[in-house]
This record gives sequence, C-alpha cells and structure tokens, in this order.
Amino acid sequence: MKKIVLTTLIALTPMMAQVKEKIEVPYVAFPIKMGKGFDVVQANCLMCHSFGYIINQGRQSKAFWRGKVDKMIVHFKAPISEQDAKIITDYLFEHYGNGKEK
Amino acid sequence: MKRREFFKKAAVTAGAAALGTTAAEAGTTHQPIDNRKISDVAFPEKRPLITYSDRPPLLETPREVFTCALTPNDQFFVRWHMPDIPTYIDPDKFTISVNGMVNKALKISLKELKEDYEQVEVAAVLQCGGNSRSAFSPTAGGIQWGNGAMGCALWKGVRLRDILDRAGVKKGAEWLAVRGSEKAAYYETPDFIRELHLDELDDHVIIAYQMNGEDLPYLNGFPVRLVIPGVYSDSWIKMIDNITVSDKYEKLFFMDHAYVVPDNECECETPEKKFPKTKPIYRMNVKSVIGYPTNGDKLTLKSQAVVRGVAFDGGAGIKTVKISLDGGKTWEDAILDSGKLGRYAYRTFRYSFKPKKLGKLEIMAKAINKLGEEQPLAKDIKWNHGGYKYNGIDVVTVEVV
Repeated sequence: MKKIVLTTLIALTPMMAQVKEKIEVPYVAFPIKMGKGFDVVQANCLMCHSFGYIINQGRQSKAFWRGKVDKMIVHFKAPISEQDAKIITDYLFEHYGNGKEK
Repeated sequence: MKRREFFKKAAVTAGAAALGTTAAEAGTTHQPIDNRKISDVAFPEKRPLITYSDRPPLLETPREVFTCALTPNDQFFVRWHMPDIPTYIDPDKFTISVNGMVNKALKISLKELKEDYEQVEVAAVLQCGGNSRSAFSPTAGGIQWGNGAMGCALWKGVRLRDILDRAGVKKGAEWLAVRGSEKAAYYETPDFIRELHLDELDDHVIIAYQMNGEDLPYLNGFPVRLVIPGVYSDSWIKMIDNITVSDKYEKLFFMDHAYVVPDNECECETPEKKFPKTKPIYRMNVKSVIGYPTNGDKLTLKSQAVVRGVAFDGGAGIKTVKISLDGGKTWEDAILDSGKLGRYAYRTFRYSFKPKKLGKLEIMAKAINKLGEEQPLAKDIKWNHGGYKYNGIDVVTVEVV
C-alpha cells in the first residue's frame, strides 16, 4: 500500500527545474561608431544581431563586408535592398575596414 | 566525395592540419588574443564572462577556469546563432518529436526521457570550431575568440540510438535532421539543423538533460541538447525539439557553408585564393590550454610554481603534455590526472618548477595524443578563411620577481 502511495506522489510531482520563470537576457550597449549610414545599419542589422557582431569581427576589407551583407541576404533571408546593402557596406568599411578593397 | 566518406577521412587527417605547402602570400597565425576583459554584466545562470554579443548571446570562458577537469556550468561558454531563444520552457509540457521514416512517431516528454530509457553519462569537451580564431592573420571572419570558446562537462541523458530503436527506423533511412528551437527574426531564415548520418551514432552520442549534475543552463541548451563527444560544438544542437529521420540529406547553411574548412590535406588556403572545395569541420584536433599562470602573472623567484592546464583531442585520448621554459628548445613531461573521466574529457596537467631567473618567462604547453599527433607551434598552423581548428602550442608569458 505504502509503495502505491509513493508512486502516485512521484507521478503528480511536477518536474523540478533550476529556473522556474522566464529568463531575461540582459542588454549590452556595444560601443558602435556613429557616422554616415548608421541609421540604415541600425534599421537592417539590429533585427537579427547586436552590434557586438560587427565590432568583434576585426578590421576587414570592403569585399569581406560586402560578403557579410550578402550572406545576410542570401542565407539568412534578410530583406535588405541593394541600395541599403551599399550604404551598409560603405559604413562598415569606413569604420571597421582595413583599408583594402579586397 | 560522399559525406560519410569524408567524415571517416576527417577522423584520419585531423591533427595533420599543420602539414602542407606554403605559399608566398600565405596568411599567418600567432597566439590568440588573450587580454579581453570580463564583462560587468552577468547573463542568466552565469557569472560575468567575456561578452561578444547579447543577441544572440556569445560568451567566452576566461583562461583561469582551465585548471579544472570539469568547467563549472556558470562559467561555461555560450554560442547561439539566432536572435530568438525561447526564454521559458515548461519542463512538464516540453516534448521532443521523433518523426519521418520511423515505424512509430514519438513525442517524448522530459519525464519519459528521464524514466523510460536507460540513463547514461559521458564526460566530454564542447569546443567551438572557431575557438582561438583571433590567432589568424589576416583576420579570419567571425567572432574573434580567444582560447575560451570551450568547456568540459559531465553530460547525463539518453542514447540517441535507444530513442531511434524505440521509434523503429525504417529500411532505407540514412539521415537524421536534429533541430534546435532557436528562431530567426525572419520566417524565411532556415532553422538551425544538424544532419547526422545514422553511421555516426555510437553509444556516446546522447541527448543530454543534465550537465555536471544540474539542469543545463538555458544558455547552454535547456532542457536538452545533443552531445557528440569528440566533435566540434556546431553539431551539438541546443534545445532540441525535433528529430526527423530521412533517406535524403538536406543541404544546410551552417553545416555546408559556414562551418567548413578547405577539403585538402592541410585544410589550408591563402587569403587571396580560397580553396574551391570545402568539408564540414568535424573531429577535434589535439589541443591544450594553460589555466595557471596567465599572461602577466607574477611568479616569485626560487619559489615552487605549479603550471596547470587542460588537454584534449577528438577522442583518441591524450598521451602526454610537455612543458618548455626555454622557448621550445627542451621539453619536460607534465603530470597528467588519472584520466578517469574518459577519452573525450579534459586531462588536467600540472608541472612544478622553480623560477631561477628574474624577468620575463615564457611557459609553453604542448599536448600529444595517443595517435602521436601533437600540437604545432602557433606560427606553423596554416591559415583558413573561417579561422577554424586552431590548435597551436599555448604560450603564457609571466614575470619572475
């Protein structure tokens, strides 16, 4: 009898979890550079990722940055217009570029 | 080449990455960046770590943690790919669906996973393929990790093979698509899926719900993640919600385009000329990291100092770790732990010595695995576009005072 009671108890006990409510992922303000085209960067890039992704790529060529923008369009299906893609690439290259076209 | 074949080939050639040809315009490698500050922001269930992004969260473990065989959950690195991670999962309602070419589709609750299947444990290293990417010059695209996009935990869960046996895999099925529940901002963005060949499943491949005796932290994939010991972490799908069995391989962005290295002997290329053929990163190469001392630490002259660190590989097992205090001219064996955590876990090592000269001192650590593969010098590692699979000899510079 005792055994049956115990089994029932276990069956009714909800799964214990370490976290019992919604987690909150904190916001981190990354020191992104201001400049021409920043509004377009903000409108397009921030939908999917923080500015941490931009500033932690290292200094890169213009072709690299264009490639990154294209990756977002082709693989991640970001709806970035060709006009915006050019503005974003120019912004990235100006502030996070290595001075090389390729 | 068929995927199955290059998985086999990858296992054989891993660790031989340093052999190959050099070209005049070749990229170079050096010690990864090691001066990043720990953030003052703590993420859920984590202590403050080195923080590269909050959305999706990218957190790196600081070097000093790499003296322990098991990395504490609250210091374990974090890497997600999509911006929307479920922030609450009800453990009573959560299920993993198993469907496709099976005799009986399953919806497995956490309770069933914990009670209706054989429970197994495996200690294994989880390492991002891009760990130490900041070692590559010119800068390889991607997050510029130092040495801390890795950790080792004791994972508890259920063999994926047992789950498939319960569902009954139909004849002709070859592939498993394992999906994580992270979501992109746009509906059209492909889900984060890993295709596994049925041949890849051995007894060590598990669906884990526990990490070092506790629930997985949300940021490490609560409530369940895939554990594939010996293999880079892009394969260890977090927050698994669906497994589809199929006879077809579906081409995937992350596996076929992002996490790839040149498909040649040296897995290398030059910045100017990308090697046209690629293969997914797969089995990890041999590597070691010094956890103490760290760069800039002060050691006392003639006082006994103990160097500590961790070493691992893709599952062959570590044979020795050697330490050099003279720039690599002479090497001495460090003492390894018992290895009781198994061949997929960190082997901790320690090496004691008396600093005999004032001033700067370079401490180098080199691991050698049971296949005889050893870590090359940082400068001998060959460049690749993605900055993957860096495993250079670790160097820490201290000051003897």
